[in-house]
Amino acid sequence: MTNTTVRQAVGDGRKPATHGGEIAPKRRTRPGDGWAAAAFLAPSAGSFLLFVLAPTIGVIALSFYSWNLLSDGTFIGLDNFTRLFSDSRLVAVYRSTTTMALAILAINIVIGLLLAVLLETRMPRIIRGFFRLSFLFPFVVSSSAVALIWRFLLNKDLGLVNYWLGFIGVDHIDWLGSSAWAPVAVVLVNSWKTVGFSILVYVAGLQSIPNEIKEAAIVDGANAWQRFFRITLPLLSPTVFFLVVINTINAFQVFAEPRVLTQGGPGDASRTVVEFIYDTAFQSFDLGYASTVGITLMLVLVVLTLIQFRVSRRFTFYG
Amino acid sequence: MKRTTRSIAAVVVTAAIAATALTSCSSGGSSSDTKSLNVAYWDYGKGAEDGNQALADGFEKANPGTTVTLTPIAGDNWGGYYANLATLIASGKKPDLTFTASEGIKFLAANNLVVPINDYLNNDPAAKTFKDDIAPALLQSFGYKGDITALPNGWNDMVIYYNTKLFDAAGLPYPKSDWTWDDFKATAKALTKDTNGDGTTDQYGFTWAGNEIFPGILPWVANAGGNLVNSDVSDATANSAPVVKAVTYLEDLITEGIAPAPAPMSDIFTRFEGGQVAMFGGGRWPSATFLPAGFTDFDVQLYPTGDTYQTVAGAAGYAILTSAVNPDLAWEFQKYTVSADIQDSEIGTATAPRDSIPSLRSTAEKTVAAGIPPKSGQLFYDSVDKYPALTPFPAPAKYSEYESTVLRYTQLIFAGETSVKDGLDSLQTDLSAVITGK
Repeated sequence: MTNTTVRQAVGDGRKPATHGGEIAPKRRTRPGDGWAAAAFLAPSAGSFLLFVLAPTIGVIALSFYSWNLLSDGTFIGLDNFTRLFSDSRLVAVYRSTTTMALAILAINIVIGLLLAVLLETRMPRIIRGFFRLSFLFPFVVSSSAVALIWRFLLNKDLGLVNYWLGFIGVDHIDWLGSSAWAPVAVVLVNSWKTVGFSILVYVAGLQSIPNEIKEAAIVDGANAWQRFFRITLPLLSPTVFFLVVINTINAFQVFAEPRVLTQGGPGDASRTVVEFIYDTAFQSFDLGYASTVGITLMLVLVVLTLIQFRVSRRFTFYG
Repeated sequence: MKRTTRSIAAVVVTAAIAATALTSCSSGGSSSDTKSLNVAYWDYGKGAEDGNQALADGFEKANPGTTVTLTPIAGDNWGGYYANLATLIASGKKPDLTFTASEGIKFLAANNLVVPINDYLNNDPAAKTFKDDIAPALLQSFGYKGDITALPNGWNDMVIYYNTKLFDAAGLPYPKSDWTWDDFKATAKALTKDTNGDGTTDQYGFTWAGNEIFPGILPWVANAGGNLVNSDVSDATANSAPVVKAVTYLEDLITEGIAPAPAPMSDIFTRFEGGQVAMFGGGRWPSATFLPAGFTDFDVQLYPTGDTYQTVAGAAGYAILTSAVNPDLAWEFQKYTVSADIQDSEIGTATAPRDSIPSLRSTAEKTVAAGIPPKSGQLFYDSVDKYPALTPFPAPAKYSEYESTVLRYTQLIFAGETSVKDGLDSLQTDLSAVITGK
């Protein structure tokens, strides 16, 4: 008796009656459904297996080998991993990558937001369209092509940038050749290219904030700063979080800009980890060690993303 | 049970897709027909595609019953090409012949991928013609541990390109082949100008490639009487006195304002055509960019003599791989690439010259007779026939890593961030590790 009551209270496995008093039709699984689902999933699952999972497993396996592409690989256990700890170049490359990544991230998050907010202010439609297109355009063209043009413009002695800077009394800056400026050049060119995407996402986020809330705040006498910091920014926090995660991952994987602009130099001043991995794999033909370094980058990004998710719980407001 | 069926279905579908993808990757298969050849080449543009197609068609026509399959391989530069070639070979698809440069032959040879051609050269009666008509330095650039690994079918040496219009405007005589480093510096200084009077230099006397060593520091090192490697390419000599002398000389050109900060080669072409740089170093290939663009105000001269003079030259050719099903047929193909017919096609025209120097002396002479600029084009072949060449050919097995290591340190030196001595000492340590593998 008691058992029955309890069972009825928590549900006895039958579908509950709907409001109209009719029994809801039970969703039936037909015998062919499994096949259909598999067929629909197959293209994405297949390409994921082939192009993401299989190479990842391959990279992990390779990290235990010494292999130059042409010879038979030799199993060397953890040698590649112990080598990580004595590789002073890798430390330098991680340092330059992190510095550049933080700068790229900051520009995308802060300047991107600033530009997006400016774009959302009152202005004639055609001008808004022009600005939006101008900001987004660099994002859709090839990184290498963009970097080639910038390389020409940023040349120390014959470039247009230094020529114009000369008019305001700035002496020739060695944008591509000096350890101090080469990372700056990489950050500027990469941010110039990627900030368009951040702006696009910010604009979408800004447009999804209901006008009523802002109007209510105006009625309550909130000024523009208060409205921005108390309403816009909290409601935009999921967008900010999304952009922080995406931009962190992208900023740690910069390749084309340093490759074309500075060849990673001078020395390793503007070399990124991805460039280092490429060089190790395809210039030194040391596929095993390159895979090991690749794994470290993957781990760094996974840890950073986990931290971001953890921290975001405190700051992200999903209205 | 049902879940198991679904998993199986998913696995089957995935496997089917994977199988389709994999079979499409390996389509073409391996050739077991001994009358067919698979030739891998560097596809750096339409010129390479047309040239190799002509080569394949010509060989098939000259050898009825044979088929030549071409495997184009992409690559931004030689390093990229070798990386992609190695990837192709690693995937199990092994060509019979592969296009290669002297810089990369040791990488292939060290991995036992190349068939030496010594026996063919000694036993094939036709080979004598080649040996007589190809400068020994070019054959030697394909040497590996006493073996010759391929016949060069095209090559480039490093010479100085100079803008004749800028020389005329400065009232300077064109340089002679016996000019010295002092002459060179004086000439470059006279060509360095602030043409619009705004207080900054906008025309520089000389520049060199910051992203390559052959048209970069190497000719200077050679003429200081040195090399970046020792006599059997078993170790680096990057901080030896001649290298220090050469790099110091170049560094001085920058600090004295005669040369701008080194830029990548393709940028230099544009600066040279635009008159912003009066001289730079390169092989025949810059003229293949200048002439089709209608730019003809240039000529070439040997690099100036320092403590000595040594020509820096590198070749390219089709090496026979150990995977060749029919090495004898592959040798016929290699010979065909240096036959008079094919060599003649390496000449090109005055408005569309080819980008390398024909390896047959007799064909190179025809290039000069055809009036194809530069005017002093005779110098190209003379530089290896009448002058000593830098030996040994300065390329260890790990060429790409070796070159990028040199560039990593010379960048720092030319940016003034490290002294020549400190930079080259550090370079020596790293370069030695690259070459010796320790």
